[in-house]
Amino acid sequence: MLYRVIDETEAPALVAAFMERYEVVAPVKRGDKYVFSAVDSFDEIALDYPTTIASPKKYLLPAKETLFEFDAENNEVTDYTDEVRPRVLFGVHACDINGLQNLSSVFNDPRYPDPYYAAHAAATLIVGVACMPSANCFCNLMDAEEARAAYDLFLTNIGGRYLVSIGSVVAANVLEAACDVREATDEDRIAFRAATRARQEAFNRDIPDIQEIPMLMDAFHEDEFWEELGGRCLSCNACANVCPTCYCFDIRDTLDPGAATGRRERVWDACTSPQFAMVAGGHNFRPTPASRVRHRMYHKLNGFLAKHDRNLCVGCGRCVSACKVDISPIEVLKFFDRKGA
Amino acid sequence: MSENLSPTAERRAPRVVVIGLASCFGCQINITNIERHLMDVLGQIDLGYWQLTSSVPMPDEFDVAVIEGAVTTEEAAETVRRARERAGSVIAIGSCAVTGGIPGMASGDLAGHVEAVYGDAAPDACGDLLAPRPVSDVIDVDAEVRCCPIDPFEFVRVLDGVLYGSNRLPATSALCGECSRNEKGCFYKQGVMCLGLVTRAGCGAKCPALGRPCNGCAGLSPDSNVEAARYVVGKRGLEVARFNDALEMFNAVAINAAQGEE
Repeated sequence: MLYRVIDETEAPALVAAFMERYEVVAPVKRGDKYVFSAVDSFDEIALDYPTTIASPKKYLLPAKETLFEFDAENNEVTDYTDEVRPRVLFGVHACDINGLQNLSSVFNDPRYPDPYYAAHAAATLIVGVACMPSANCFCNLMDAEEARAAYDLFLTNIGGRYLVSIGSVVAANVLEAACDVREATDEDRIAFRAATRARQEAFNRDIPDIQEIPMLMDAFHEDEFWEELGGRCLSCNACANVCPTCYCFDIRDTLDPGAATGRRERVWDACTSPQFAMVAGGHNFRPTPASRVRHRMYHKLNGFLAKHDRNLCVGCGRCVSACKVDISPIEVLKFFDRKGA
Repeated sequence: MSENLSPTAERRAPRVVVIGLASCFGCQINITNIERHLMDVLGQIDLGYWQLTSSVPMPDEFDVAVIEGAVTTEEAAETVRRARERAGSVIAIGSCAVTGGIPGMASGDLAGHVEAVYGDAAPDACGDLLAPRPVSDVIDVDAEVRCCPIDPFEFVRVLDGVLYGSNRLPATSALCGECSRNEKGCFYKQGVMCLGLVTRAGCGAKCPALGRPCNGCAGLSPDSNVEAARYVVGKRGLEVARFNDALEMFNAVAINAAQGEE
């Protein structure tokens, strides 16, 4: 990894340089919230945003994506190329970079590579930015507070200047051409350490730090807590829609008006959706909200880890805001805390 | 239909009739709003009867019956029963046909509403009045297109599903999830009541995306958690009674039925 330093005032030049060759997507203010959206200038970007309503997942795994088109009259698949736009996700927090890394573990699995995801990922550069935690953030408890890989550049503001961690040659070339780049000094490194410690100390200590979460998930699998949590679920899937790491999808065919042609589409699905576990013949093996909520939490805090050695949940806190009835991993951690774990 | 048609099949076009019951006819009119695609859609069917556009009487034989409106008279109930006997598939379109909709608001107290509107007795022209009910309370319905009014493209998708088959399962989730995808924020955070908490998803949360709270026109989700929704409403400092009233606009028939069972 290479480290360089640029002045804070050079950030607009960096964004402008990316814009010459890429669509730049960045956090922008919408109402009293923030969303990731394509921008036309640096001035639209709110780089000190706390979080966004939904995650940047939508640029790699769109909520609705055409896989191919077909001619229904001749029963043939027709040529279709998904629009893959060269894009820079600018200003992504460490939790989301870890989230995208989790998606890559799934979709870039060499046994079952997903060409649609891979095409988006290959055309996407990621520029991370260090943040200060908000009240619902618990990335520190999910080992996702630092992005160690899977970014092209990562900017940490160290007082009037950015320490830039460089993760790819492509991004390094853009950086060097656009900005007055200098080597990091001891003073810069000391400022970086101070910034990191300030972040570490700013996490909400009311969110309990629980050891061995996967073990506790197994130990309390049959606890009535899940009925309590699931009993208030609205079955709306807002948690999964805003989540940076929910990646389940459904596939369906849509005919065009007239029914001569159509498209096969991939659309987001979620294990919280009532029919998610319904199989042929109509049997639903997760028929209650409690069984569905529990399943979701297990995948986030137990199941994915067993396979990929990382928590699927990255502690971004979006579901905490999105859920109207206070169902979130934080409630699970508090439950373990009450159990004296 | 027992046997799905292939779009390539060299056979007669499926015969479709469109029946209008108690409603504003807005859903039927909305079908004509897909102007650019209307000829493509009509080109694949033999439209045998559409009172809105033609005075040709209903034929004796047809394959698909599209029914708009609530059943509010004995005559209407007979019409839909006859349609069921003749049609391979029945599609209910719009809130009135699917949930009872606006006419359904009179379902709890038909006599009281008749008296308020007509005085002593309803005129003969009203027919033999029934408590308003959705089509599915009278006959089995194969497919439905929800909302007030319907999305005409959704109608085309459902019609195609009936004609050619479909691998799409109607959603039963609540609407808030679709709203979260739109990333426009939540009305409850502004202290504004919204029925998305319990209303069936599928419309894409169009109204909230355009700045208007959900009025529940898609009907209650069969997986709705109304108790939890009331808790949310109360927690946000809004009156639960107002929430209950608002729900009645498109769900009176279902709510009355649920109360009857208690």
